[in-house]
Amino acid sequence: MTRQFGRALAAGAILLIAMSGRAEAKSDIVIDGSTTVGPLAKSFAAWFTKTRGVPVTVSESGSGNGAKSLINGTCDIATMSRSMKPEELAAARSKGLAPVPHVIALDGLAMIVNPANPVKSLTKRQIADIYKGAVTNWRQVGGPDARILPVQRESNSGTQETFKELVVGKKVHVVASAETQASNGAVKNRISLTKGAIGFVGLGFVDPSVKKIAVDGVVADPVSVRDGRYPLSRPLLMVTAGEPSGLVRDFIELPKTLEGMKMVKELGFIGKY
Amino acid sequence: MQLGTRKLLDRAFTALGFGSIAMMGLMLLVVLVPIVGNGIGAIVFRGTVEHRRMLYNEFHRGDAGRLKLELAESDAARSEVYGMLDRFEAEMAGMDAVRREEYRPKYEQVQGALRALLGPLPHDEAPALARLKYGQTRWDKAEERLHDLLFEKVWDYSNPDEMAKSYEVSRSAAFKGTSLVKLFPYVENNIDRLLQPRWTLYWGFITDSSIDAHFFGGVWPEIQGTLFLALGAMLFAFPLGVIAAVYFTEYARDGFLTSLLRSANSTLAGVPSIVFGLFGLTFFINTLKVSESKSVLAGSLTLALMILPTIIRSAEEAILAVPKTYKEASLGLGATKWHTIITVILPAALPGILTGGVISLGRAAGETAPIIFTAAVSVGSDIGLADVFSSPTQALSWNIYNLASEHEAAAEIRHVQYGMVLALISIVMLLNMTAIILRARISKKLKG
Repeated sequence: MTRQFGRALAAGAILLIAMSGRAEAKSDIVIDGSTTVGPLAKSFAAWFTKTRGVPVTVSESGSGNGAKSLINGTCDIATMSRSMKPEELAAARSKGLAPVPHVIALDGLAMIVNPANPVKSLTKRQIADIYKGAVTNWRQVGGPDARILPVQRESNSGTQETFKELVVGKKVHVVASAETQASNGAVKNRISLTKGAIGFVGLGFVDPSVKKIAVDGVVADPVSVRDGRYPLSRPLLMVTAGEPSGLVRDFIELPKTLEGMKMVKELGFIGKY
Repeated sequence: MQLGTRKLLDRAFTALGFGSIAMMGLMLLVVLVPIVGNGIGAIVFRGTVEHRRMLYNEFHRGDAGRLKLELAESDAARSEVYGMLDRFEAEMAGMDAVRREEYRPKYEQVQGALRALLGPLPHDEAPALARLKYGQTRWDKAEERLHDLLFEKVWDYSNPDEMAKSYEVSRSAAFKGTSLVKLFPYVENNIDRLLQPRWTLYWGFITDSSIDAHFFGGVWPEIQGTLFLALGAMLFAFPLGVIAAVYFTEYARDGFLTSLLRSANSTLAGVPSIVFGLFGLTFFINTLKVSESKSVLAGSLTLALMILPTIIRSAEEAILAVPKTYKEASLGLGATKWHTIITVILPAALPGILTGGVISLGRAAGETAPIIFTAAVSVGSDIGLADVFSSPTQALSWNIYNLASEHEAAAEIRHVQYGMVLALISIVMLLNMTAIILRARISKKLKG
C-alpha cells in the first residue's frame, strides 16, 4: 500500500523534474490591458523575447484592468486604448505613482456593418441616434427595411469609452437592446454573422468579413486617421508607473525602431513615428 | 391496476430508460466526434512546402536536402508567376493614367491574394511578422486562398431597399486583354507544383512553442501550464481536503459549529468559479502578495480553493463508507485512534478519496475563470518548474477562449484552437484513466 503510494509520488517527482529542465529566467516585463492593443503588445513581446532574450508576458483583459494592475503594481506596462480617467490617476497618485502615457500607434475606430448592408455612410449624429435607441430601423438612415442591432463593448473596454466619448456622449446611456461583446474579435464575428448589426472595432481588426462605413463622409484608413480627418481616431497607449527605465524603456521605444514601425503597419495600425 | 397495464407501463419505462441512454450516447458522439476529428487536423494534415520551409527556418527541423529540391521545383513554377506580374506591371506603366488607376486596386487585390498563397512577393520588403513571411502552410487553407485569387466576392447593392446578396465573379475577366489574364489558369493548374502538398504528421504541435501569437508552432507551453496549474492545485487541496475530512468524520462532535462548517463547505462548492478568480486576485496577489503579479502559484492556490469542497465531501463519504468493524477491530487490538486512522481507515478509504481527487483534478485543468486574473496570459515564455512562484503561464483553457474570441485572426487559426481543445480533453481523460486504473489496483489489493 505505502509502496504503491511511494511509487506514484516518485513518478510525479520525475515528471516535475523533467519539466523543470526547461527552466528559464523569470518574466522581466509584465504587460496587461487592452484587447485592441493586444496584437501589437503580443508581436512586440515576441520580437523582444527573440532579439533580447527577455521574457515578456502579455495579458489581454481590457484597458480598465490594465490600469488597475498598474495601480496595484502587478504589471510594468498597462496597454490602454483610452487615457487614464481622473479617478484612476487619483488612485495611482495616492499610491505614490505618477503614470506616464506613451503613444505607440494611432488607431481608427472603424464603424462596421455586415457586407450585405447597402448603407455606405452615416453621420456621427445618426450613429449616436442608433446607439441611443432613437433610430431602430436601417430604413431611417437610407437602408433597407431591417431592424438595427447595435453591438457595443463591455464597460471595461477602452474602445467603448472612446466610442462613447466621441460619439454618444459620456453620460448618455446606450439603448438597452444593444448587445455587448467582450472583445474586438467577438464584435467583428457577431457583425459578420448578423445582417442588421452595426458595431465598432479597432482598424486593425477589419477584414473582408465585415464592411467599413464612412463616418461624416470619411472612410477610416491610415491616411485619414493620421491626418485627423476621420472623426473617430485615438492614440493607443502604453502607460508606465513613472518614467520608464532600462528594459521597459527599450520596450516602449520599440515603435520608434524600424522593425517596430513595420510591425505596427503589418498589424493594420497606424504608426505615429 | 390491471396486470396488462402494469406490464405496459413497465415496458414503456424500460424503453424510456434505453432511449435516454441512447440519447446520451448520441450526444456524446455529437460532441466528441468533431472535437477529435478537427483536433487531429492540427497534427495530421496536408502540409505545403511553406510549412516545411517554416519548420526548417523557425525550428531547424526537417530534411534540408529534400527541402532544397522541393523549393527549387516550387521556385521554378513561382518565377513564372512572378514573371507574369512583372510583365503586367510593365504593361501598366505604359497605359494612360485613367486605365492604370482603374487596374491598380484590382491588381493590388491580386497581389494580396498571391501573398496569402505563396508568401511575400519578390520585390516586397521583408516582413517583420512571421505570419507574413510564409505563404499558406496548410493545403486546406491554400485551396481557400486559391479560390480567393481566382474569384472575387461581390455584393449586389443595386437595390438599396434590400439586404444585398453576394455572388462571385472570376478575377481573370477583369484583366481581359492584358498579359495578366494568363496568370489565373497558370496558378490554378500548377498549384501542386507551387505548394507541393504532402501528408504531414506534425508532432511539434504538442512539443513546440508557438510563434507569432499561435500562427505557427505548437501548444507545449499551454499543456505544461495546464499541468502545472492542475497539479499545483492538487498539491494544496488534496492534503488539506483529506485532513479536513478526517476531522469532520472522526474528531468533530455533532453540534452547531460542525453543521455550520459543513453547510459552509457545501455553499463553497456552489460558488461560481469567477468569484474564486476575483477572490484569488484580491487575496493572494493584492493582499498576501504571494507573487509580484500573476503567477502559477497564485493560480494554483485559487484553483485549490475552488476544488477543496469537492475533495472534502468525497473524502468524507469515502471515510464514512469504511465498515465500522474495521475501526472497532483496530481499536479493540489496542491501537490508538491516530494509529487506526492512518493504518486502517485511510487506506481502506483511499480508492474513494482518489476518485474525488481526480474529478477535481480534471475540473482544475479545465477551469478558465479562476485563472484569468491570477495566472493566465496570452503570450509568455515557456516556463520551467523554477518559475512557478513568480511567472504567469499560458494555459489551455484560457488560450482556447482567447483564440476563439479575442485573437485578431481567429478565423485563420481555427485548427490551432481545435488542437488545443483536443489536447485539453486528452489531458483530462488521461488523468481520469490513470486514476481509474490506480483505484482498481488498490481495491484489488485491499480485497486480496
